[in-house]
Amino acid sequence: MSLLNNTRKTESAPRPFALLTSADKTRYWKSLQEFADQEAFQAEAETEFAQTPLQIEADPSRRAFLKASGFTFAGAILTGCSQAPVHKAVPNLAQPEEMVPGRSLYYASTCNGCNASCGLLMKTRDGRPIKLEGNPLHPLSRGGLCAAGQASLLGLYDSHRLHHPLVRGMQATWEDADRAIGSQLETIRREGGPVRFWSTTVTSPAREAVIRRFLAQFKDGQLVEHDPLSSSAILDAHMLTHGARVLPGFHFEKAFVVASFDADFLGTWISPVQFSRAYMEARNPEMQKEAFSFHAQFESRLSLTGCKADSRTVVAPEQLRPWIAQLAALLSKKAGAVLPGPALPPPAHSMDALAEKLWTARGKSLVVCGLQDVHAQVLVNFINHTLGNYGTTLDLAHPSHQHRGSDAALQTLLEEIRSGKIAALFLHGVNPLAQMPRANELSVALKKLPLVVSFAERQDETAGAAHYVCPDHHPLESWSDAEPVSGAVSLSQPAIRPLAGTRPVVESLSTWSGLRVSAYEIVRRHWKEQVFPRQNAEPSFDVFWNKALHDGVAAVTARPAGARPFDSTPVAAALSQPVAGGGEFSLVLYPKVSMLDGRHAYNPWLHELPDPVSKAAWDNYACLSPAAAARLSLKEGDVVRVDAGADGSLDLPVLLQPGQHDNVVAVALGYGRKDSARFAEAGPRWLNWRKPVGENGLVGTNAAPLLRWQDRSLTYTRSAVRLTKTSRTHPLAITQSHHSLTVPKNLAPSSGSTRPIIQEAVLPAYLKDAAAGASHHEVPSQDLWPRDHANDGHRWAMAVDLNACTGCSACVVACQVENNIPVVGKDEMGRRREMHWIRIDRYYSGPPEDVSVAHQPMMCQQCEHAPCETVCPVLATVHSAEGLNQQIYNRCVGTRYCANNCPYKARRFNWFDYPHEDRLANLVLNPDVTVRSRGVMEKCTFCVQRIQEARIEAGNRGAPIADGVIQTACQQSCPTHAIVFGDIHDPGSRVSQLSRQGRAYRVLEEINVRPSVNYLRLVRNRPEKKSEGENHG
Amino acid sequence: MAELYTALRQPLIQGGKGFAQVTSDVCAPMERRPTGLWWTAFLISVAALLLGVVTVAYQIRTGIGTWGLNNTVGWAFDITNFVFWIGIGHAGTLISAILFLFRQKWRTSVNRSAEAMTLFAVMCAGIFPVIHMGRPWLAYWIFPYPNFRGPLWINFRSPLAWDAFAISTYFIISLTFWYVGLIPDLATIRDRAKPGLRRSLFAFFSLGWTGSARIWLRYETVYLLLAGLATPLVVSVHTIVSWDFATSVIPGWHTTILPPYFVAGAIFSGMAMVLTLMIIARKVMGLEDYITLRHVDVMSKLVILTSSMVGLAYMTEFFTALYSGNHYEEFTFLNRAFGPMGWAYWIMLSCNVAIPQLLWSRNIRSRVYLVFVISLLINVGMWFERFVIVVTSLHRDYLPSNWTSYSPTVIEVATLVGSFGLFFSCFLLFCRILPVIAIGEVKAVLSYGKPKEEVSA
Repeated sequence: MSLLNNTRKTESAPRPFALLTSADKTRYWKSLQEFADQEAFQAEAETEFAQTPLQIEADPSRRAFLKASGFTFAGAILTGCSQAPVHKAVPNLAQPEEMVPGRSLYYASTCNGCNASCGLLMKTRDGRPIKLEGNPLHPLSRGGLCAAGQASLLGLYDSHRLHHPLVRGMQATWEDADRAIGSQLETIRREGGPVRFWSTTVTSPAREAVIRRFLAQFKDGQLVEHDPLSSSAILDAHMLTHGARVLPGFHFEKAFVVASFDADFLGTWISPVQFSRAYMEARNPEMQKEAFSFHAQFESRLSLTGCKADSRTVVAPEQLRPWIAQLAALLSKKAGAVLPGPALPPPAHSMDALAEKLWTARGKSLVVCGLQDVHAQVLVNFINHTLGNYGTTLDLAHPSHQHRGSDAALQTLLEEIRSGKIAALFLHGVNPLAQMPRANELSVALKKLPLVVSFAERQDETAGAAHYVCPDHHPLESWSDAEPVSGAVSLSQPAIRPLAGTRPVVESLSTWSGLRVSAYEIVRRHWKEQVFPRQNAEPSFDVFWNKALHDGVAAVTARPAGARPFDSTPVAAALSQPVAGGGEFSLVLYPKVSMLDGRHAYNPWLHELPDPVSKAAWDNYACLSPAAAARLSLKEGDVVRVDAGADGSLDLPVLLQPGQHDNVVAVALGYGRKDSARFAEAGPRWLNWRKPVGENGLVGTNAAPLLRWQDRSLTYTRSAVRLTKTSRTHPLAITQSHHSLTVPKNLAPSSGSTRPIIQEAVLPAYLKDAAAGASHHEVPSQDLWPRDHANDGHRWAMAVDLNACTGCSACVVACQVENNIPVVGKDEMGRRREMHWIRIDRYYSGPPEDVSVAHQPMMCQQCEHAPCETVCPVLATVHSAEGLNQQIYNRCVGTRYCANNCPYKARRFNWFDYPHEDRLANLVLNPDVTVRSRGVMEKCTFCVQRIQEARIEAGNRGAPIADGVIQTACQQSCPTHAIVFGDIHDPGSRVSQLSRQGRAYRVLEEINVRPSVNYLRLVRNRPEKKSEGENHG
Repeated sequence: MAELYTALRQPLIQGGKGFAQVTSDVCAPMERRPTGLWWTAFLISVAALLLGVVTVAYQIRTGIGTWGLNNTVGWAFDITNFVFWIGIGHAGTLISAILFLFRQKWRTSVNRSAEAMTLFAVMCAGIFPVIHMGRPWLAYWIFPYPNFRGPLWINFRSPLAWDAFAISTYFIISLTFWYVGLIPDLATIRDRAKPGLRRSLFAFFSLGWTGSARIWLRYETVYLLLAGLATPLVVSVHTIVSWDFATSVIPGWHTTILPPYFVAGAIFSGMAMVLTLMIIARKVMGLEDYITLRHVDVMSKLVILTSSMVGLAYMTEFFTALYSGNHYEEFTFLNRAFGPMGWAYWIMLSCNVAIPQLLWSRNIRSRVYLVFVISLLINVGMWFERFVIVVTSLHRDYLPSNWTSYSPTVIEVATLVGSFGLFFSCFLLFCRILPVIAIGEVKAVLSYGKPKEEVSA
């Protein structure tokens, strides 16, 4: 206003050299002219630059003043008329100390991807979680996190989540739902009808306490726990042999000899991250040397665990129990006892050797069994008892709470539901209409019950049949806790304010109990009253709580299972059980590392993750051995009908799976879920776009109808299924079509038919020579060009231990989340245009009936002589001073020459604009990484954003970047620490040490591209073959 | 001696034409209304061109994913077509420049249309490196030009950058050479045209040609110089194109034989294409007297020569691979011949090496329709040669986990058809608008009014 009032000459007018005209006595001048003639100079200085609009308006007329003031008032009034787009923008009066915009914060929590309850670090950025990582402080998972766990983050930003409760399928408010449920519960309280709470194993002690308190209000309230991937038989067997229904803690790290009967403990069985880590601890050739564990696997299909086994025996599912019995007999003979029960046929030769190994490693061996067969489990308990493994590798003092479900209890519950006796049924974490056989019958029965309440986050199959759906928070939004193994308690804390109008189960239950307590108070009170007293390291609860919250975990005294000494009476009964069988084919239902029991069926990241064994994505299928497929003249992709008689049939595409029993058809569970209907349009649409879903409009086919009840156990195998070929085909999206490092016979060069891409050695050879298994290729040592690039600083490199890698694919999802890798859909995957920056190559060797499997994580090798760099015409891919091969998206024109010239084919091209329309799902994007557009090349960057972050951090502290500070996303989550990243110029760094090891080799070293990734040879605990050295995998 | 020679050899131009006769023969197709045959051919070509335009527009709008490429096979039809068309062009330059320097007088009947063919082929070729890009709207980035991005230069080590230079140079030189050769004939048409737009257009492009001896002298000097300038291009362009492959690390691409192999192949395919076009042109446009059986015969012999060179290259390549002891290279070649895409290799081998051997027989060479069929098969074979090099080397490279297959989508096939549409549309327009035979040059080799010994040679 001052200018308008013609105050041009006054001091307040903005004016150059204001200092000169200030009242100060000291005058400053900049030129003699200025000193001599101040007025003239000033006038000139003011007109030196273009006049501002205000100066033009600076006319002292009344008219101008009114014009301006009128505009000002009108403007002031107008601002009052509109509603500002930000509804609640309350600035932080005091900026929280740790909150810096653009900087990530990590909070410890507990994973809810499955019941294993691994430790979690939630990376949040500007208030939203963008990545889940493993918590290194967690005593079980120790920094690892599986694929499903990491992908569960996307569930938070799932726009299909329920935003409000449903009352008979209609949207309702919480008040309405509470009133209606409350009044019905009141009636039940009065009348005393049975109330059942059906849940997966409740690993959260606080929640369990709330559930039990809630159920205690009723005359007949029961918690029925059931795991869709059940281990019920193990607990039931311990009930028989040890008098306590308990799942022991497994200590693979203490086992020198592991025998597994159909237990996929590295893939999906109970707690794979924990077991993988422990298992690999006993298999580090540098540390263990002779004590390198021996692992024998007996299974009917090729599991991830079978891929790692030193000795793998393919056994029909019905024959597994007789094999266990053989082993039991052999071992009891060694122990000087005779096995009660009938005489057994003479054992196979390999069994003798295994029994010998186990016997030698008494107390340091472990026999596990994944069968849902109590008798088999009783025999396994007997074996472990005979070997003295209880107390060493099997821990009853620290029992596991990860799987406590009881199939028998479930069967009782199902009978109660069918008979309609139940007054109220609560469903949490289970989706029986998709997970149970005879779902139609169950659905009718459920509808007849007076009150069915589901806590489902999404409107799944069962939620559709429930009267009320009271959606639970996403685990990243709520307070909770977990005690996966007795004595190891962990906390779950929210990383974000709830995105929708959901409510934690514990709050719902407490509301219906008449108390309104928040989940936070419930958990905290539970910890104060129940957890805190179980430790005495910390006298103050507040300190204990804060420390537990910070660390995510706390150690407290365990609650032993109260097991009695071993009782061998059930063994005789177990031995005399008849062996089922008959029919040409047996069906084996199995979980995949991505889909598990199907709870992640909404998750595109997991659908897109190729199965590490079959390499197929976006489907389930009928796995058949090549011989079986040939017998039925089936090709890959032909639809076959798996007919189980009265229990129904499934139509599934065939996938040829070497290493599988010739009379077995294996089908993955967890597919064909309602939640996957959303993918009907997935992937970029164009002329030749093919529908990503099957005829049912869903991803895959639900195999749960073929689950089978036997001896009050829900079993995953079934004899006598019939396979009939149909005339239909269903293309599968398989991302690897050549499965061996051996080239086809008719094309084999004279120099040998096997490529040294994966190198491996057997243990005896390795012990003699650490470099055993090396290929004999000459490595070029001379260069045509002088080394004219100074590289004195860091040089980033990676070491990948093929021996430690299980192929679990956690790294693939970790990379996808970290680097904003789009989901391309089934059609694109099938066209071999997957976008994953890191892939798991899987190679078979040996004859199809006795295959050996090796997995190899493959990503950009950041070559020193990168072939991609020289060929790019526009310099879109260049070398950094720190040895990184950088890709500049802005500059890329998309000639794809670099990808063609990459010997590893590690580069990925944006063939289309991949969809990013879901604005909620976009919140998961990592702001440190560019979202790439169509037509540009991309590839692994060694997580350059993390390097950069560490560099800034180190710069701020004025210290060099310490080794191990930078962890790439793939490395961070690797359960077995198979990936190590660091500076190879630092001779003390882990990566340098590993790269100097005897086992280190570089893939395609002989073509002199000088990759920065060192692979460490695979070591198998097998006897030396005569033709050693030819063994390239 | 010369007497004896001429008795055995037929004159280059038959029918005992006079100068005026030549002029009116060559100008006739331009001065009459197009025939039904021409219209049919033109409409088909334009339809194919439009199909190509539509599919390319769709592909640019939707994404390169509409092609059948994948993570392993990043190039297929695009670069195959590119190399194929560039190769086609080479015969034109060879005929017009090298044969001119070697004083091969028979070239005068075919050089004009062969040069036109070169231009159109280079145009077709030039499209593919642009549309095969993920972001074709940024294609100009592969040229070094002053800019405000640093300035940011191109990667002079990249064969793709060399390609851009090679092809643009090739196009410019070919265009200039062709245009300079056209000037006297343009003046002829100008002189024959009635006053009007047509006449003024030809007057403008004939650059005031008067036909004086001095102008002819200057003209011939320029033409000779340009021929000298164009000659290295016959070798250099396809050599550079071959470096796209030879400088890579992919087995099957990474071989030093590729430059000579590519040059021989280019001339081979170009000769076949010239034969195809000439045989059509002489029939359709009634130019049997100008493009005689002798021309067909001479070009057939060139085809045998280049076919044998290509065959030698195939054998050498295979031998080198087997002899090298390089596991990957050996496999790549065995895979080429006997792998899942072996059919393409055998098409290539039979069309390029086996079938052209028939031309050793004078009997077959003198049957135009047989030569025509053989020339078509060579075109097919040479397209497959490039397909074999590009695709079979890529689809099974170092890591077996990456091995894939490749099959084109309808978009790619339509784009190839579209490029043929462009080529033939241009060629048919050329036949209508410009003299397909160099009138001035042909007159120089006529036996009319000359002592006999000068005629043959």
